[in-house]
Amino acid sequence: MGVPVKNLTDRLGGINLYGGSLSLITMDGKLLLNGIPNTKFIYANGTIFLQFMWPNGFKNFPCSNDTPETYKLDIDGKEYNVRCSTVEISGVQSVYALALSHEGIASFVYSKISYSHIALVVTMVLLVIPLVFFVSSMITNAQREICLHDKLIKQMEATQQAERKSMNKSLALVGASHDIRAALAGITGFIDLCLANAAPGSDFETYLKQMSLCAQDLLGLLNSILDTSKIEAGMMNLEEQEFNLADLIEHVVDLYHPVGMIKGVDVVLDPCDGSIIKLSQVKGDRGKLVQILSNILSNAVKYTVEGHVCVRAWVGKPDFETKILASTRKGLGKYMSSLFSGKNDGNSDIKAVSAVRQNRDSVEIVFEVDDTGKGIPKEKQKSVFENYVQVKETAAGQVGTGLGLGIVQSLVRLMGGEIGIVDKEFGEKGTCFRFNVFLTAFEIQGDAMYGGTNSSFAIRNCSPKLGICTPSPKLDGSQVVLFMQNIERRRVSQKFLESLGISVLVVDHCHHFPSALKKIQSKLNYLLNSSRRSDMSCRSDISSSSSKEMPLSAMEGTEHKLPFNRRKDTPSFILLVIDVNAESFSELWRVVAEFRRGLHSTCCKVIWLDKPTSPCIDPKRLNPDDEILLQPFHGSRLHRVIKLLSEFGNLSQGLSSSSESSKHPYGKTRLRHTQCNDEIQGYVSSSNERYSKQGSSSPTLERTRGRLKSKRKNKDGAESSNGEKPLIGKRILIAEDNKMLSILAITTATQLGADVEHCENGNEAFELVCDGLKAQRNYDYILMDCEMLPMNGYEATRRIRIEEERYGVRIPIIALTAHTSGTEAMEAGMDAHLNKPLKTNELIEVIESIETKE
Amino acid sequence: MDLVQLQRQLVDYRTSLYHEGFLDEQFTQLQSLQDENNPDFVVEVVSLFFEDSERLLNELSKALEQQVIDFKRMDAQVHQLKGSSSSIGAHRVQKLCIVFRNYCEAQNVEGCLKCLQQVKHEYGIIKTKLESMFQLEQQILNAGGSIPV
Repeated sequence: MGVPVKNLTDRLGGINLYGGSLSLITMDGKLLLNGIPNTKFIYANGTIFLQFMWPNGFKNFPCSNDTPETYKLDIDGKEYNVRCSTVEISGVQSVYALALSHEGIASFVYSKISYSHIALVVTMVLLVIPLVFFVSSMITNAQREICLHDKLIKQMEATQQAERKSMNKSLALVGASHDIRAALAGITGFIDLCLANAAPGSDFETYLKQMSLCAQDLLGLLNSILDTSKIEAGMMNLEEQEFNLADLIEHVVDLYHPVGMIKGVDVVLDPCDGSIIKLSQVKGDRGKLVQILSNILSNAVKYTVEGHVCVRAWVGKPDFETKILASTRKGLGKYMSSLFSGKNDGNSDIKAVSAVRQNRDSVEIVFEVDDTGKGIPKEKQKSVFENYVQVKETAAGQVGTGLGLGIVQSLVRLMGGEIGIVDKEFGEKGTCFRFNVFLTAFEIQGDAMYGGTNSSFAIRNCSPKLGICTPSPKLDGSQVVLFMQNIERRRVSQKFLESLGISVLVVDHCHHFPSALKKIQSKLNYLLNSSRRSDMSCRSDISSSSSKEMPLSAMEGTEHKLPFNRRKDTPSFILLVIDVNAESFSELWRVVAEFRRGLHSTCCKVIWLDKPTSPCIDPKRLNPDDEILLQPFHGSRLHRVIKLLSEFGNLSQGLSSSSESSKHPYGKTRLRHTQCNDEIQGYVSSSNERYSKQGSSSPTLERTRGRLKSKRKNKDGAESSNGEKPLIGKRILIAEDNKMLSILAITTATQLGADVEHCENGNEAFELVCDGLKAQRNYDYILMDCEMLPMNGYEATRRIRIEEERYGVRIPIIALTAHTSGTEAMEAGMDAHLNKPLKTNELIEVIESIETKE
Repeated sequence: MDLVQLQRQLVDYRTSLYHEGFLDEQFTQLQSLQDENNPDFVVEVVSLFFEDSERLLNELSKALEQQVIDFKRMDAQVHQLKGSSSSIGAHRVQKLCIVFRNYCEAQNVEGCLKCLQQVKHEYGIIKTKLESMFQLEQQILNAGGSIPV
């Protein structure tokens, strides 16, 4: 063998026979392995025998046959199969005996099989259990889903039913509104009729007036309820109308300003960056916007007892979302945007939104109404927009249906925007509402230049109201001193003026006012006297509100006078804007007068801001250059003042160049506020147009203008009233049934300065004259048409003459006839006659002749 | 057309209206009543005249179609028309109204019918002419000029 025997035997011995054993012997008789217990090999006669030894004997088995033989044996109680045969191992003939248990190795397997059975069963079980679990849970889920689905359907039906009910209610309400309104109108009408007949000053009249007020309140309440139901019924549509946004905002703010002033709350209009002013005409629903603003403003004023309410508006910068929506109009764009917006049901919303925003000309206007009132607690902020909810803690004592904000929210949403409450800074109290709407811009003027830049006024080519069409070089040394009581208004005005590049000095306290003026005075004098260097230390702590920019603006002010600006010679212009609330008028006036005395070559102009309700400025004591403006100082008035500055070369013009309004604020206060604004606008724009077309044809306005015209100094001189107003103060009754002739007569008489009343037949004329006689207020002249029905002029005159005798007066009656001869007229008792149609000169002649006769 | 041409055209047109008797000096009176406080006075009054006259003419037509003609009422209406037309200086219309009234007093149906036709005709003419004049004025205003008096 070439292999060491030891290795082989070791190897063979090491085989795991699973309970079997192996014995090996070479043919030569060399025992290699004796694995089978109780056995031995015996070599006899050329064959090898395997000898088994039992306790009671032994047995031999032949083993060296070439063919394997198998013997069954019992060893130690177990049955073994013994296999013997010859085998050749590396050329060496040997005999082996292999004893295996009866069933062979398979028995081993069988013994193990139970394990595998168990394992298999366990695995199966382990598999089945989750499966079962899974299936059962699926089933329960499905059941639950079906259940939920059912519930959902039922719920949806219920909701739909509720909605339908509500819709029906709304529709019914809207439908009934007509009747309700008619009834209310009837009530109001009859109350008015009663009022007409009530004895003035009696209790009856007071009661009737109260009733009328209640009816008006009812109407207001009805309107707000109806608005809600209209919106809910989907009947609220947007009306497109052109209007001026800046005017509208100012109009609304001015409406609430008096209310606020009475409470001590200042209502300020903050022009922010001036972007609204640039946007002169817009298209949108004016009425609804006014409604929204009014509602929020009225709430703000209602719930604030001190401080201010600030209204801001600016043009929103187009944001990313709108750009996307605008640029990708179809399909993919919508899909993508809905993805980004993360809403599954957002598609319809986005469609609606993009419908509003897609308009290329559409511009977003953001409004903010900020107040310093009680504020709304965070929890309640969402719920105030729900209908009929009022924040009870702050609503004590306030009236209101609680409908307002709900309607406002719906209206804002209708206009494509959203409204919400903005958190204020820590420590600031009050509420700030912010909302945005989308309007179509009509004329956008250039690009906004926000903030003050060096080059010019930021406002160019804007509405004629400002009239600043060309950029002027940096203001030639104008300095504005603002002295206002209200902090917010001061801050707002200062910011706006500074954004335009005007240097502003702000004074907050009356004590500081004189010292501030003195400092300016001294600075100016110093600069004018000295040459190059300015004494920076002179620019000390001019007391003012705490803003850090303040010293800068003062410095700017001084720099203007510095030769850096290359203006050594031109004196600067100082504009003082003084709020009369702050201090007693005489005190202020004294300080200002002193200041004026101290100024040598600087021009100084003072604008006094007076309260419209209780004017306290004595106009006689004013310097002729000074102006009186009515508060509030914002909006158009602010612009007029700025205009003043920029065109300061026309000092003589002043604010009242084409308006007498500022010189006669008291007269104006008698007119309605809106008329006031109209007139101011009219007068300012009249420099551009010959005729101001606003509201001038209403006869009431005519009459009041007629009165005012007669009082003011005639600057324009275009009318025929160049001194000729022969009928000033006269009361004339015109009795004429033909509409056109009556208009003619009325206008003629009015133009001559008379107060004219008109009636349409003889009966009325007679009655009016009788009333006048009783009340001792007679007409000065009567123009009586002769052909009237049912009672003609002659008959009426006769009756009037009879009545007059009782009082001993004789009113001149002038007949208007179509006939050339006036005999019948004279017979009836008239004093003169004229031919129709009435001519001015003839009227004057006749009146003069009557006068001279008497 | 430039401004000066327009203005000249207006003046010529106006003068022609006076010359041809369509307008009389009452119209000038009307214009003198228009001023800053009343910038659209003439237009307003003339519009009123148009409305009034059309109404009256319709009623007169209807009245003449009745079986029984109410001359008294017609007389009153013609009186009104006469007054209106005189108030703006519509000279020819006014003259015709006088004739019309005579026919009414005489209760002459044919005469009334004939007169009514004539009045309608004249009214149509004066309306067209006044409207053209106003258009011219508007053009001048739009061109930035002022109306020559």
